[in-house]
Amino acid sequence: MIAYEWVVWFILLLPLGAFLVIGLVGRRLPEGGGTIAVGAMTGSFVLSMYVFIQVLQQGGLGGGFIPQTIPGYVWIPSLLPETSIKISLLIDNLSSLMLVLVSFLCLLIFVYSLGYMHEEDGKARYYAEVSLFATGMLGTVSADNFLQLLIFWEIMGLCSYLLIGFWYSKPEAAAAAKKAFLVTRVGDVLFLVGVLVIWNVFGTLSFSEIQGKMASLYPNTLTPQLLTLIPLLLFGGAVGKSAQFPLHAWLPDAMEGPTTVSALIHAATMVKAGVYLTARAFIFLVPLSSAIQPPFTAILVIAAIGGFTTLFAATMAVVNFDIKRVLAFSTISQLAYMFLGLGAGAYTMATEVSRGEAVDSAGYSAALYHLFNHAFFKALLFLGAGSVIHAVHTNDMREMGGLSKPLPITSKAMLFGGLALAGILPFSGFFSKGEILSVTFDAGAANPGFYWLWALGVGTAFLTAFYTFRLWFMTFHGEYRGHDHPHESPRVMTAPLIILAGFTLASGLLAYPMGGFGNLIFSGAPAAGLPLVGIPVQDYLLEGVSMGVAVLGLALAWAVYATKRIPAERFTASRGGAFIHRMLTKRYWIDDAYDAFGRTVVYDAARALDWFDRKVIDGIVNGVGRGGVVVAGGSDQFDRRVIDGAVNAVSLETVRTSLRLRQRQTGQVQSYAWVVVLGIVVVIALVFGLSFLQRWLGGLGR
Amino acid sequence: MIPLQYELLLSAMLLCIGLYGVLARRNGIIVLMSIEIILNASILNFVAFSSYSGDASGQVFALLGIAVAAAEAAVGLAVFLSIYQTHGTIELDKVRFLKW
Repeated sequence: MIAYEWVVWFILLLPLGAFLVIGLVGRRLPEGGGTIAVGAMTGSFVLSMYVFIQVLQQGGLGGGFIPQTIPGYVWIPSLLPETSIKISLLIDNLSSLMLVLVSFLCLLIFVYSLGYMHEEDGKARYYAEVSLFATGMLGTVSADNFLQLLIFWEIMGLCSYLLIGFWYSKPEAAAAAKKAFLVTRVGDVLFLVGVLVIWNVFGTLSFSEIQGKMASLYPNTLTPQLLTLIPLLLFGGAVGKSAQFPLHAWLPDAMEGPTTVSALIHAATMVKAGVYLTARAFIFLVPLSSAIQPPFTAILVIAAIGGFTTLFAATMAVVNFDIKRVLAFSTISQLAYMFLGLGAGAYTMATEVSRGEAVDSAGYSAALYHLFNHAFFKALLFLGAGSVIHAVHTNDMREMGGLSKPLPITSKAMLFGGLALAGILPFSGFFSKGEILSVTFDAGAANPGFYWLWALGVGTAFLTAFYTFRLWFMTFHGEYRGHDHPHESPRVMTAPLIILAGFTLASGLLAYPMGGFGNLIFSGAPAAGLPLVGIPVQDYLLEGVSMGVAVLGLALAWAVYATKRIPAERFTASRGGAFIHRMLTKRYWIDDAYDAFGRTVVYDAARALDWFDRKVIDGIVNGVGRGGVVVAGGSDQFDRRVIDGAVNAVSLETVRTSLRLRQRQTGQVQSYAWVVVLGIVVVIALVFGLSFLQRWLGGLGR
Repeated sequence: MIPLQYELLLSAMLLCIGLYGVLARRNGIIVLMSIEIILNASILNFVAFSSYSGDASGQVFALLGIAVAAAEAAVGLAVFLSIYQTHGTIELDKVRFLKW
């Protein structure tokens, strides 16, 4: 039980309030209300820490904490209380850790923004939108049901659109914002359909209630096909949000926004939501009861997309010269690692469940461990890149070089981040990436396909180290190739860098006091296994392999970009090499293909629909309208001619008759008297006549 | 006892004289007098049938009729007086302002 559970709401309400205040009056505040955003985020962070510490105190380590739902209010009431839709928060190990992670990174990024955005126009807009963005992510990770998760998820989608297009007067930024919104929309629609299917099958959207109803509904209501479909639809949403193949195209272009926004999107929010959603989808992937056949197909799809995307994105990062885009591709690649880990872990767990063995959630823990570590070092790398861009006013690495002298703090911080990203001991990336790879290798025992995915992962580890240090050497090593006078960023920007640099070491090593990350974040039962301690010798070898290839990649980057012993031109000298280089710089032509698809198929379809709309629908509407006019005209004529004619004729005749009749009223009293007398005579004559006639007829009858 | 026929004949003659006065004479006072004659003709009928049938109720009606005739004569004379004051004549063919 969380003491004072209502304070959890304020984790969301503080940044939401900041959004409202800054959005309304931010322009009149100093720094565009940036201090309010930072203050609100500090409050959120403190409250998140409070909740997290309570979770730890109540046995969060080792699975002692019972997940708690904090009731909010009933949004859509229903006759049956269990089917009404409620807005309430879920506090368990995962969500409490995510709240701390998100609020902490958002706080650091907001502080950094105070320096980075200092000279920008529209600061109030920026701070209002990032505050809403933070609200969206905090709400996503604390949602108690899928609908609430979707709502906050869409808030993030909106904010990403607004922030990527922050410099909306720049055509590239406006296009990138549209692209991000439209591409993620494809995934969001799948997610929405998934939510509707869940509602239809389970009659509830809450995570815990779904898990409870699972066994009773299988296999009649919840058919095996549906059990495969639901996680795939949810994963479709994750693919869009987390920029996995084939919906990866938006993320590199999203670099058009301010660098802090990139850091926000890549480190703490947005793309991590997809991984979080897939982790929550484990209730479908790994059923608790062995009576339920786990959806192995869905798991394989998740793992395969993860495994493929990780190498796919890493290759594109190798050839890019934009410092932020290299990091963007690396984000796609690292997120793919997480999906690979989730997939491999789910496959192992599902196999164990269906065999009735004890479940080992190592893959789940490893993937979320990587999410945790990646959040820190990717925030560091982006904020470092922002610091570099702030100093040299360009994104192009060809115009950098030798910046370690003017930017000592930034260069060292980015070296830490690079080592973590490359996965070099003892930096955090080493632990989580190594674990993911060894889990993937272990899953190969259940399905040999995972050996291939493992090979892809190892190849990526090599490329990751290579492109990371290509970036670092090109930026900080050698001679300065630009024309600026770079100098170190202000304190408010370097302080977050130093803190994050510390965390690249700490977030990995924190696993030791926790008794292994799997002791805190797990699916099913806690797995107390320290990284590199108490696991089979084979895994030492696997972790060694992953680090070995990373060192090789680092060495190659050193040879090519630092000492220039191997000239970079040698790779593109042969025709095949040149083709591959071209293919990679063109991003496998996928973006072009999407554009062409949009230009031809979508545009033509839109034109056809437009034609249909104008000619057919409008024609029908206009026809109905014209018919109405004709009918109304006829009715009008009938009204005027027939109805009015009858009325007028009656009144006219009345007038005419009365005109004639009144001439008989002469005022001559004696003429009236004549009429009276004549009337009397007629009456008398009639009376006599009738009685005479009667008598005469009676005489005849006799 | 006078036979009923004579009385009825007298009554009919009175009625005819009255009708002639009403329809033919122009002087309003004469017309009013003629109306009195018609009324008295009918009252004579009441009395005649009353004595013929030995029923006294006819005589009651006769008395009522005389009272009505008196009231009618009073109203009629007042009307003609008023007409004479406003128009200066009671010649009926000149009194024709009650028309369209």
